[in-house]
Amino acid sequence: MKMSRAGLLVAVAFGIPVAIELRVLFSFFGVELPLVSVVVFEALFLLLVAVLYSLNAEPKSASKH
Amino acid sequence: MATFVDRYPEEASVVKATLVVSFLSLGIGALFGLVQALHRTGYLRFLDSVDYYTILTGHGVLLALVFTIFFLMGLFTWAVVQSLERPLPDIRLSWAWVGLTTTGATFAAVAILAGLIPSIDMSADVLYTFYAPLMAHPLFYVGLAMFIVGTWLAGADWFLAYREWRAENPDERIPLQTFMVLTTMLMWYLATLGVAVSTVFFLIPWSFGWVETVNPLLTRTLFWFFGHPVVYFWLMPAYLMWYTVLPKLAGGRLFSDPLARVVFVLFLLLSTPVGIHHQYLDPGIAEGFKFIAMTNTMFLLLPSLLTAFTVVASMEHGARQRGGEGYVSWLGSLPWRDPAFTGMALAGVMFAAGGFSGMINAGMNINYLIHNTLWVPGHFHLTVGTAVALTMMAGSYWLVPQLTGKRLYSRPIGLLQVVVWFVGMVLMSNAMHRGGLAGIPRRTAEPQYQNFDFSMALGTVGEIRAGIAIGGTLLFVSVVLFLVNILLSAFEEPIENPVDDSLPEPLSGASGSPVVLDNLRLWTAIAVVLVILAYTLPLAGIVGDAGLLGDVPGVPVWVSANAEATLDLLTEVIA
Repeated sequence: MKMSRAGLLVAVAFGIPVAIELRVLFSFFGVELPLVSVVVFEALFLLLVAVLYSLNAEPKSASKH
Repeated sequence: MATFVDRYPEEASVVKATLVVSFLSLGIGALFGLVQALHRTGYLRFLDSVDYYTILTGHGVLLALVFTIFFLMGLFTWAVVQSLERPLPDIRLSWAWVGLTTTGATFAAVAILAGLIPSIDMSADVLYTFYAPLMAHPLFYVGLAMFIVGTWLAGADWFLAYREWRAENPDERIPLQTFMVLTTMLMWYLATLGVAVSTVFFLIPWSFGWVETVNPLLTRTLFWFFGHPVVYFWLMPAYLMWYTVLPKLAGGRLFSDPLARVVFVLFLLLSTPVGIHHQYLDPGIAEGFKFIAMTNTMFLLLPSLLTAFTVVASMEHGARQRGGEGYVSWLGSLPWRDPAFTGMALAGVMFAAGGFSGMINAGMNINYLIHNTLWVPGHFHLTVGTAVALTMMAGSYWLVPQLTGKRLYSRPIGLLQVVVWFVGMVLMSNAMHRGGLAGIPRRTAEPQYQNFDFSMALGTVGEIRAGIAIGGTLLFVSVVLFLVNILLSAFEEPIENPVDDSLPEPLSGASGSPVVLDNLRLWTAIAVVLVILAYTLPLAGIVGDAGLLGDVPGVPVWVSANAEATLDLLTEVIA
């Protein structure tokens, strides 16, 4: 499956609530993750998405509209 | 093939006029939202804390009432005209309701904004819920009354168009979009009876000084008689677009016309007899009536769950038409490049989260945990603030080109805009929900309290503040991107087909749905009976306890000019 730049943008956006709620999820099990863990998770997630995009990128669309 | 503006130029002008008012309100309301977010969190305070409530009222009224309802009036006009394939019966009537609603909204806005200017003895810092004992300047209530009557005239305009169509098509099923408009308006006529009675018979005479006292619980109850169904009045335009436009944008067709009709009938039946669930903590209403309101509210989850199923099924159908495969990977085949599609899809996702937090609000026992806390604005920024607002903005990217004959200035900016809104709202609403769980109050400029710490289950209050401030800033940036994109689109050259405006037939069409669904008289009668059952005894009890006019003198909100008098009145009310 090819990934468009728009798909990349939406995937990145979806990573933010996942990262935020990760702390809540862990807190259910009594594990209190520090805030920095969100930053680290988000950075790793962005790296993963970037790698996937580079492997599956669609050709660029030249149109402005 | 000509687009809407070519076929119905006069109606397109009416729709454009409503959208101009809508988007202007959006811009001002969003600016006020940014000011609040930065003030409350302490990052930027340039307002006197008293003026915070002027900004808060302006934010609520301009966004929740003016932006949404003017957009609705434009969208419904477009929907009726294009689905009946005929112009409105009398364009003068259309301009009359545009004029009346615009004048009413302007009066209300002037009354609110005058509160920022101390030399003008006028204020309406009563928040968008505007029930007693807070008293606004009479201009505010007069404006609201004109606005409501204007919406009634708009509904009459659409019903007249339907009547003309019906005379020529006696055996046809009501076109789906018109069916949605008519059922929504029937719900609106029923719901606005409460606020109309409250405004015309109690608040206006009281604010002019013709009567000296008011019964606050009665005006609260009449407000919430209207105040919950107004949520669905905002939401139904979003549903109309999710059902009839989103499947097309996804590349497919609506999964089921009959299910869509059932959903709108259910909203007509169930939207109004639930308002008391906003009053779980009000004394003076028996617990049993509150329990009934809670039960009715839980039934309202059904049409939303039906919508989730139908809309997602329609999107999946679209994705598979575009080559999507697998259980999940079909999502990748959706047209994420299209800001209209992406915005509506993200709005739908956020609405699901808002629905879950709404269940907490609706539950009579767990509501006590979050009542009047930040949780509540966290919830409605997901529902009206995203499901509705983001769908309206995203839908504009598809609708406005039909009204102007000009293409959108920039789809990439549009895409960035809807994604920035999503991210901003995730940060802000998440922080608000978490803050609410910690007991941080809503509707206050000074939530910090001295010598007191909120006990957070997770993280810190500082994180909550940062989430609100960053999220609020992103939301404002998103609105600026939207307005700039729409404004620049006005300078594009007209072209023949600025957007593909055709709407495909549903997979399961109207012919497969029971004819009784189109019996609007029947559903209206049942809705009236349900309202009578839900409200007669509570209202009789409230009037029996304190009388129609009560014994509360009211608290004018001319706070700056009348601080001492207001304090005296407050002391009297509390005593």
